[in-house]
Amino acid sequence: MAADMPRKRSGECPEGTLAPSTGQSVERAESPTPGLTQGMEPGAGQEGAMFVHTRSYEDLTELEDREASGDSPKEYVGSPPPLPTDIRQISQDFSELSTQLTGVARDLQEEMLPGSSEDWLEPQGAAGRPATEPSQESSTEGEEEDATEAWRLHQKHVFVLSEAGKPVYSRYGSEEALSSTMGVMVALVSFLEADKNAIRSIHADGYKVVFVRRSPLVLVAVARTRQSAQELAQELLYIYYQILSLLTGAQLSHIFQQKQNYDLRRLLSGSERITDNLLQLMARDPSFLMGAARCLPLAAAVRDTVSASLQQARVRSLVFSILLARNQLVALVRRKDQFLHPIDLHLLFNLISSSSSFREGEAWTPVCLPKFNAAGFFHAHISYLEPDTDLCLLLVSTDREDFFAVSDCRRRFLERIRKRGAHLALREALRTPYYSVAQVGIPDLRHFLYKSKSSGLFTSPEIEAPYTSEEEQERLLGLYQYLHSRAHNASRPLKTIYYTGPNENLLAWVTGAFELYLCYSPLGTKASAVSAIHKLMRWIRKEEDRLFILTPLTY
Amino acid sequence: MGSEDYYLELCERPVQFEKANPVNCVFFDEANKQVFAVRSGGATGVVVKGPDDRNPISFRMDDRGEVKCIKFSLENKILAVQRTSKAVDFCNFIPDNSQLEYTQECKTKNANILGFCWTSSTEIVFITDQGIEFYQVLPEKRSLKLLKSHNINVNWHMYCPESSVILLSTTVLENVLQPFYFKAGTMSKLPKFEIELPAAPKSTKLSLSERDIAMATIYGQLYVLFLRHHSRTSNSTGAEVVLYHLPREGACKKMHILKLNRTGKFALNVVDNLVVVHHQDTETSVIFDIRLRGEFDGTVTFHHPVLPARSIQPYQIPLAGPAAVTNQSPVPCKLYSSSWIVFQPDIIISASQGYLWNLQVKLQPIVNLLPDKGRLMDFLLQRKECKAVVLSVCSQMLSESDRATLPVIATVFDKLNHEYKKYLDAEQSYTMAVEAGQSRSNPPLKRPVRTQAVVDQSDVYTHVLSPFVENKETPPKFVIAVLMEYIRSLNQFQIPVQHYLHELVIKTLVQHNLFYMLHQFLQYHVLSDSKPLACLLLSLESFYPPAHQLSLDMLKRLSTANDEIVEVLLSKHQVLAALRFIRGIGGHDNISARKFLDAAKQTDDVMLFYTIFRFFEQRNQRLRGNPNFTPGEHCEEHVAFFKQAFGEQALMRPTTF
Amino acid sequence: MAAAAAGTGTWAAQEKQFPPALLSFFIYNPRFGPREGEEENKILFYHPNEVEKNEKIRNVGLCEAIVQFTRTFSPSKPAKSLHTQKNRQFFNEPEENFWMVMVVRNPIIEKQSKDGKAVVEYQEEELLDKVYSSVLQQCYSMYKLFNGTFLKAMEDGGVKLLKERLEKFFHRYLQTLHLQSCDLLDIFGGISFFPLDKMTYLKIQSFINRMEESLSVVKYTAFLYNDQLIWSGLEQDDMRILYKYLTTSLFPRHIEPELAGRDSPVRAEMPGNLQHYGRFLTGPLNLNDPEAKCRFPKIFVNTDDTYEELHLIEQAGRMVLSAVSLTPAASTQLTLDFCRRLDSIVGPQLTVLASDICEQFNINKRISGSEKEPQFKFIYFNHMNLAEKSTIHMRKTPSVSLTSVHPDLMKILGDINSDFTRADEDEEIIVKAMSDYWVVGKKSDQRELYVILNQKNANLIEVNGEETLRHAVQQHLLLGLTLTAHNTSLKTSANLCLPLQLTGHDSDWVSDTRKAIPALRNRFLLGLMIPRGF
Repeated sequence: MAADMPRKRSGECPEGTLAPSTGQSVERAESPTPGLTQGMEPGAGQEGAMFVHTRSYEDLTELEDREASGDSPKEYVGSPPPLPTDIRQISQDFSELSTQLTGVARDLQEEMLPGSSEDWLEPQGAAGRPATEPSQESSTEGEEEDATEAWRLHQKHVFVLSEAGKPVYSRYGSEEALSSTMGVMVALVSFLEADKNAIRSIHADGYKVVFVRRSPLVLVAVARTRQSAQELAQELLYIYYQILSLLTGAQLSHIFQQKQNYDLRRLLSGSERITDNLLQLMARDPSFLMGAARCLPLAAAVRDTVSASLQQARVRSLVFSILLARNQLVALVRRKDQFLHPIDLHLLFNLISSSSSFREGEAWTPVCLPKFNAAGFFHAHISYLEPDTDLCLLLVSTDREDFFAVSDCRRRFLERIRKRGAHLALREALRTPYYSVAQVGIPDLRHFLYKSKSSGLFTSPEIEAPYTSEEEQERLLGLYQYLHSRAHNASRPLKTIYYTGPNENLLAWVTGAFELYLCYSPLGTKASAVSAIHKLMRWIRKEEDRLFILTPLTY
Repeated sequence: MGSEDYYLELCERPVQFEKANPVNCVFFDEANKQVFAVRSGGATGVVVKGPDDRNPISFRMDDRGEVKCIKFSLENKILAVQRTSKAVDFCNFIPDNSQLEYTQECKTKNANILGFCWTSSTEIVFITDQGIEFYQVLPEKRSLKLLKSHNINVNWHMYCPESSVILLSTTVLENVLQPFYFKAGTMSKLPKFEIELPAAPKSTKLSLSERDIAMATIYGQLYVLFLRHHSRTSNSTGAEVVLYHLPREGACKKMHILKLNRTGKFALNVVDNLVVVHHQDTETSVIFDIRLRGEFDGTVTFHHPVLPARSIQPYQIPLAGPAAVTNQSPVPCKLYSSSWIVFQPDIIISASQGYLWNLQVKLQPIVNLLPDKGRLMDFLLQRKECKAVVLSVCSQMLSESDRATLPVIATVFDKLNHEYKKYLDAEQSYTMAVEAGQSRSNPPLKRPVRTQAVVDQSDVYTHVLSPFVENKETPPKFVIAVLMEYIRSLNQFQIPVQHYLHELVIKTLVQHNLFYMLHQFLQYHVLSDSKPLACLLLSLESFYPPAHQLSLDMLKRLSTANDEIVEVLLSKHQVLAALRFIRGIGGHDNISARKFLDAAKQTDDVMLFYTIFRFFEQRNQRLRGNPNFTPGEHCEEHVAFFKQAFGEQALMRPTTF
Repeated sequence: MAAAAAGTGTWAAQEKQFPPALLSFFIYNPRFGPREGEEENKILFYHPNEVEKNEKIRNVGLCEAIVQFTRTFSPSKPAKSLHTQKNRQFFNEPEENFWMVMVVRNPIIEKQSKDGKAVVEYQEEELLDKVYSSVLQQCYSMYKLFNGTFLKAMEDGGVKLLKERLEKFFHRYLQTLHLQSCDLLDIFGGISFFPLDKMTYLKIQSFINRMEESLSVVKYTAFLYNDQLIWSGLEQDDMRILYKYLTTSLFPRHIEPELAGRDSPVRAEMPGNLQHYGRFLTGPLNLNDPEAKCRFPKIFVNTDDTYEELHLIEQAGRMVLSAVSLTPAASTQLTLDFCRRLDSIVGPQLTVLASDICEQFNINKRISGSEKEPQFKFIYFNHMNLAEKSTIHMRKTPSVSLTSVHPDLMKILGDINSDFTRADEDEEIIVKAMSDYWVVGKKSDQRELYVILNQKNANLIEVNGEETLRHAVQQHLLLGLTLTAHNTSLKTSANLCLPLQLTGHDSDWVSDTRKAIPALRNRFLLGLMIPRGF
């Protein structure tokens, strides 16, 4: 398996093997200009990237398209294969569908009520998850209304279903309650595919419905957020990869080849929590938007020690050794010729953050890194260094039998950093896992995101006042998403965006080497914004060895 | 016909005097407008009555023969009496001056004195058949001093006191007139001129008779009026009045011809610059206004009567004395009687009945007699007492009953504003001159008099438009059209329109929900900017949201209303906008932090509050090197609120950069 | 695909482009064929008609399905549009249960793949929803203007009549849609007002008032110069659509020759009107011909919810000054005699006013110095009075509205516009496109302003830019906008820096643009034409 990896990857991403050497030779400019070539912007790793290089989502989706069309033989240009269902049947039924649909809204209410749902066996584990399930005690008309209304008003619905229309996942409300709605969704998809066309999205006042088709699954989002269809599609992709990471692409397609209307929830039961968590994470953590990882601010010396220690604590089967804290990267060591894709890293972060069980001890779990190789499983050794800290060690191995060897790496690693006193420095650093924007010393500046493209790392301060409430924090991220989507618009990308809104001014600046997003007071002037940029860039340059991993190591 | 139809009337309070009879001779002095009743040559008394002085002067004088002519000098200082054709007797009426009479004979040998007239309180002119003699009277010396004299054959003479010009008729046909002008001891001879007599058969020698000539000042100019009984142009029969303009300098020129279109006995008066021609046969009168347009043939302008001929309004003789007690109905007075004598400008005397009247023009009736509103306006605006009538005409033409068409209304407004503008300009140039300090220069410029013809916007607003708009019956379309016409007219004469007119327009439009129109008017700045207007618009916001934008725009354009703008914005909870605006005009360093923080707090928008709060923290930092608020700013509660909302640590720390 | 669509859109030689095109347009009412097998009855109009019956039924079915489906998530706000790989469908329910659907094919690029066979690529991000939704709504408004509501047709003659009317109207109207040239202006559907000094405006006012007084049948009057409105007695929304009709359909048909300076052929046929240039655009050509028909178009306007039927009478004078008079159709048939009277009143007046306005026109022209290419272009729209002004668009011709900027920039304007509509608050957005043009969008208190700076142009600083602006500014002043000299300075210099610093390369810019500050100050006067500016 390892043998065929390099070829595949080079096919996936040409920039992946960006020559690291160029990094050191050229001296690093004080203040950035778009002239900056990759590798010289602040935060650019000197040893080259440790990630598959990625500009942002779209190249992924792009290559997904190619994958979907090109690689898999059973699909051809534009639209996935016609579903085994009889197309003529569909189109005939279709004119009647509307009539049947008029019911849906009402059916929904009934179905939302317990008991009325078809008597499928409730998959275990799904019970405990925090979804707005209708209350168990029989409810009155009014309550039903409220329930439905509340259900409608959710910011973002996400549905996953099989091409046969079988529910796989629903963020809110039980899948079977929504089976008829999902039936319509798949009907719509297949109807258009019957015309060699493909449904993308439906737009209405205040919300969008976005469809993503990844055979054998159909993913649908209904969102009231400001996000573009493009972005929503990308989030759906994350969900898709999340599922892959549990099953591998190979297994998934195999299952449905075997059984058209297989109920995938049987396999995924319990994993809803992870998916829910991923959705929440995406709404709060800019990492996903930036398609990059954030580092724990750490003195360069300490980080080097940690990296070195990781580097030394290895066995043959190890591909990646990752130390992280609260979804922030502390250190990452990889096999010389292997690159980790940010998406895969995010999935790992999500996996870890979505379950507290890992704190209990050492976990050894199979995990598929879909961007790395959707065909097979890796085996992740997950453990917290000390139960009371957030430092989590993640060792990714290719060999399922290697648990003890890998576990031994952990021990050796711990020894080393203890010996070198690095763990104290780490504990210290963990006490302030985020820095305050005030440190930059720009009074109007409230928050910012800075991404170094070549290193695939980004940095941003803690979100502080006035963005104290959760809603405000999500709103802020929403604004960043908005700028990002405009800047990276598929057909009309932009270099610079300056936005003056009622609550804040924002500025986005995308160059070949970096992306910068500023948020500052709505009373700030453009002039101040411009000077802020320069001040900020100098500051980042000054702090870069603390905020970024400049010298990533390989085994 | 109803009294509404008479446009001429005799004054209610005539000067009453003892009827003329064999023992009582009555004289009239045009200069002082006095009537002399000389009983038995003055022996039994002389009673002098003027129009204004109600208590008559009465005195006695010895009867030294029949009195030919008797006149006081101006201010009744000296009495002159002519008894013979050779001399005139004088008597001082000046206190502590000898009452003894003294006499002056005419210098010229065997000349006969035709008459005399006072040109001032102590200057007198003798007119003899051979010329005129100009004397100064020296009352204390009881003698006269000849100032100037001129020899010329005189048939008859005529004196115009207002312009102190004497007209002498010379030559056989008597139609060559020689004017003399008197002023402060000087006598100047003006160029003489000839009155064209009507073409007439050679046999009958007709000459110019004194009766057919009158002198009067019309519109400030002196005219010689000649009543020509037969038009020279034979085609048109009927008499006409020819007006010769007699300027201070230059030759006399024939200017106007008033067509009477009838023959018979006529008499002339001039009232309020109108030439009134009485016709005895029909007992009617007609009036002419030489300012109204007539047909101009290149040399003279022909005029027709402004109005159809009408009799003077019937007049009741007021009963004097005991008769008044007995309630017998007053005697109607015989109008146009042959016993009437007419003097210039406006005097009618009935010697037989012993009455002196001033003739007056009634404007109100004319309104209905003159259908052409434009002409009517031209006519009225020239009259002294016109304002009330003019305004009534305006209201009338807008009234339900006899509504005029828009074009007519437009012309009326234009005529009004024409006068109005003339006055404004005069006013302006006067004030400018005064500022320029030319006031000292001579002749010292006079402040322009505001005649009744000046009808300004407030007059029209209060008396015409607002009542008109009040009337709910009138269709809104018409109301708007009229208002717009008036505004148009004002603009056409470059008269700045007062805001209350605009308000009237707006209110009307709003009343009928014609907001879109309103918007267009404002768009094209037909309703020009003003604070009151802006405020009115603000008040309309509830009916018509866009009014808010419009009003803000207006305030902004005024550029003198920055405070108002801020207030408006704050009142709309647009704290950011307000702050940005203030900063834009550089006023942000001296505004009250508390005011803005209050406003921000009221919005219940913590994000906004944060922004504003930060802004002032930074201002403090900039101005005082410390972000904290001073007690003087009274922002304690806001600081507390900020802490509670965002926590202590969110407060700005004093920084140095 | 995404990459291909990006950038300034200059295509390699072997690529062929196809603009967006109308695939189909149909109107249906689900209530008309509720039972199975009756679906056909739902369809009231379908273009292209050739389409096979079941196909029609299927497509209608899909729309119903989409709408119903979205009701699941928002019963009151169903789908507005459907995006698919190949096309976009726009839904509009102008009257209850009456649905209009317009299907537009995405623009296509045809490429030669290495092995030489053609590969079609649909550009999915090119069409702007708001633009085409507006076009769809316009379709309805235009129908309503000439036919009244769907319901009215139903009342007048049932489904049959409705189908006839729809067929009659849309058969022609759809051909006049020019989907490839639709843009922001279609969203606004604004009215371009002719800038005029107060006095001339008042003269026109009193002319109209007098005309309406002397011809009591005339109920409303609109007054235009070329394709710019000067006065309208009609309510905004009615005027909006009537204006659209006049400027895009009626005038172009009759007036092109006059604008071209040639004598209109029509005039020659009217010996009656030698004394003036006035003539009817609708109604009889020759007033002396007793046989002349006075059939005027009937239109329906909505004055306080009661529809009145009006005759549209159109009088044009020299320089295409035209008075549109509306008289209640209910009132007795308009006679030739009426036409004569109208003609005798309006005709001469128009000729007089024309010369006055002509003066203004030349003045405006002089100020604008329209020959020179301005350093920036803008679109302005005020929702309050529908006032619209664009220096981006050439004069609308009957066919297309030509824009003078690259389509991508127009689309960016569209994007900004749709960003604005997401929130009520005042917002400002300044972006730099890949083509290095700066695009400024500003929304404040119901007004929207979009400016494209030709920042590439080296002599941005040239004075004529300033002049153009002053002209623009003047016009806006006349349109009742506020210009505020103050509170610009700060901004302008900032606006200045923004382009500069961010596009650090070629530093010679810096010096240049310092000089530019005065010019730019004026430019951003525009940006601040709105009272609640910065």
